[in-house]
Amino acid sequence: MAAPGFPAGDFLVLDGVARHYGTVAAVRDVSVRVAQGEFLGLLGPSGCGKTTTLQMIAGFETPSAGTIRLEGRDLAAIPANRRNIGLVFQSYALFPHMTVAENVAFGLEMRRIPKPERTERVRRALDLVHLSHLAGRFPRQMSGGQQQRVALARALVIEPRLLLLDEPLSNLDAKLREEMQVELREVQKRVGVTTILVTHDQNEAMALCDRVAVMQAGSIVQIDEPWRAYDAPADAFVADFLGRSNRLPVRAAKGMAQVGGHAFALPEPLAQARGEITLAIRPERLRIRAAQEAGLPGRVHSRVFLGGFWLVRVDTAAGDMMVMVQNTGTPPAAEGEAVTLDWDPHSLRRMDAAAPEPIQGPIQAPVAAPARGAA
Amino acid sequence: MSRSRFAPAALSAPALLTMGAVLLVPLVSVAVLSFRGFDFDKGILPVWSLANYAELANDGLFHEVMARTFRIATIVTVLCIAVGVPEAIIIHRMAPRWRGLMLLVVVGPLLVSVVVRTFGWMVLLGTNGLINQGLDWIGVPGTPFRLMYTELAIILGLVHVMVPLVVLAVWASLGRLDPALARAAESLGAGRVAVFRRVVLPNIMPGILAGALMVFCLSASAFATPQMLGGRRLKVAASMTYTEFLNTLNWPLGAAVAVLLLLAILAATLLWTGLVERRALRRLGVG
Repeated sequence: MAAPGFPAGDFLVLDGVARHYGTVAAVRDVSVRVAQGEFLGLLGPSGCGKTTTLQMIAGFETPSAGTIRLEGRDLAAIPANRRNIGLVFQSYALFPHMTVAENVAFGLEMRRIPKPERTERVRRALDLVHLSHLAGRFPRQMSGGQQQRVALARALVIEPRLLLLDEPLSNLDAKLREEMQVELREVQKRVGVTTILVTHDQNEAMALCDRVAVMQAGSIVQIDEPWRAYDAPADAFVADFLGRSNRLPVRAAKGMAQVGGHAFALPEPLAQARGEITLAIRPERLRIRAAQEAGLPGRVHSRVFLGGFWLVRVDTAAGDMMVMVQNTGTPPAAEGEAVTLDWDPHSLRRMDAAAPEPIQGPIQAPVAAPARGAA
Repeated sequence: MSRSRFAPAALSAPALLTMGAVLLVPLVSVAVLSFRGFDFDKGILPVWSLANYAELANDGLFHEVMARTFRIATIVTVLCIAVGVPEAIIIHRMAPRWRGLMLLVVVGPLLVSVVVRTFGWMVLLGTNGLINQGLDWIGVPGTPFRLMYTELAIILGLVHVMVPLVVLAVWASLGRLDPALARAAESLGAGRVAVFRRVVLPNIMPGILAGALMVFCLSASAFATPQMLGGRRLKVAASMTYTEFLNTLNWPLGAAVAVLLLLAILAATLLWTGLVERRALRRLGVG
């Protein structure tokens, strides 16, 4: 995944895009470059401006500032119905009075594609999403997942330059959502269409996207490959939004840190830190050791079995720590048991520094992570 | 088991009995009355005959009145759709704070008595009414025009009364329309006209058809507006019934007119729902 083989290029470029409603800024300043064939996720909590950004790309909203270029062409003068951009809506927005085949054919009809070719392309699009056998059904006679696939086929049949997905899976139940994630990713790979996904679900974004752009309050905080954003979050917001993390307030001096009577060496990027600082560590990077071993002492507060792993909460002098323990057949320390917590110092990130500049992760990034420990 | 089977019937019995008493009994007695004989000296005769229907079948005036009634109802329906559908769509697109106000303005006329509203039209349409005065003032030759006691006056008055019904019916179906549908169509390459014709219109069709049916039935059976704006000469079926009952005192003949009007409206309704509405609804999966 590190250096995906996209042809380098600025297929879609958003440059300083903003959208104001009166004095309220829904989107402050979004700049992003998307390569051809890339699957980019716009990720953020509701109200962060991700949907407005998508609407501006689609042509349903006009930017108050900035430019959007698709293949070098400024989209500003092109109305939504001439942009040739495929859209999948959260509500699917299938035409209720048309059959599946008619829904899919609609975009081709608008393009005045002759009937025989239309029929053939509709058939191929439905094949792509495994729905050929339901071509004569009406949307209301189908399940959510099937409607979702019709919406995808309808957006793809016009061979769009760009595919925009607006929370496409959020109306599906958990199991179906996972299946659809796999299918969506497969279809996108096969068709090779440049895709932008808007979602508030970090798992969905991480599972589907080549890169994620994490948005907060109308701006992009970090753009990176999912694993990189997860492992090297630009700031506390990204760290908390992409999965969970524990806070570790420590006293640092001379390359060493101390917390709750436990002293450990700080790794290279953090060695210069002085005084009271806050470090963060992911739950899966913490290890539970027997009480007498070296580490941060604590007591198991609760443990929850989640199938593949256990989620253990440990009370320590540094506060409540969440630990993810892989299920290897033996239950971890029981509630009330005294334990110590141990970690690889390289798993620590500094979190209290002034918010760093947004990281523009290069598409063809060097394999070695440049942005580690953004402090 | 038996409880759940009989409970619905038992629970709806009071309402059914009330409806039966206030609707069915008068209807049946009117129908019975229409088969009675009539004599100017003796009044209603206790006989069974089809004489009233035979008389109406050969009565040129009755044919004229029925033709006028349904002509007016048809024109009013068409005009109400032509005005009400765009009106509903425009209001629906307004900013929320204007939307509520405008809807109130549209529904407002329903809150005023038909008689009062019709008097308003009489003031406007009279020989010395505002419209003629205005036309005279701007120098239109040939004033005053005869506007009162014409079919035009009846149609104007009825359209004014009926338009809110279409607006409300269409409003309801617009509310059920997913706003993303129009955007989806646009993203697929549809221009404004195509979005409306291919996506919006088919989805609000049930509202339009229901509104049309309501307007047609109410216009065909309207009494007050045609009576006041059409005057004594320009009769419609409802006012003819009234005249037979209260002026000629020939109740059986009036009853026959009423029965025929009811049957004609019923036939038109069944034809409409059977041929037009059901097809549109089935397409949308509501029928």
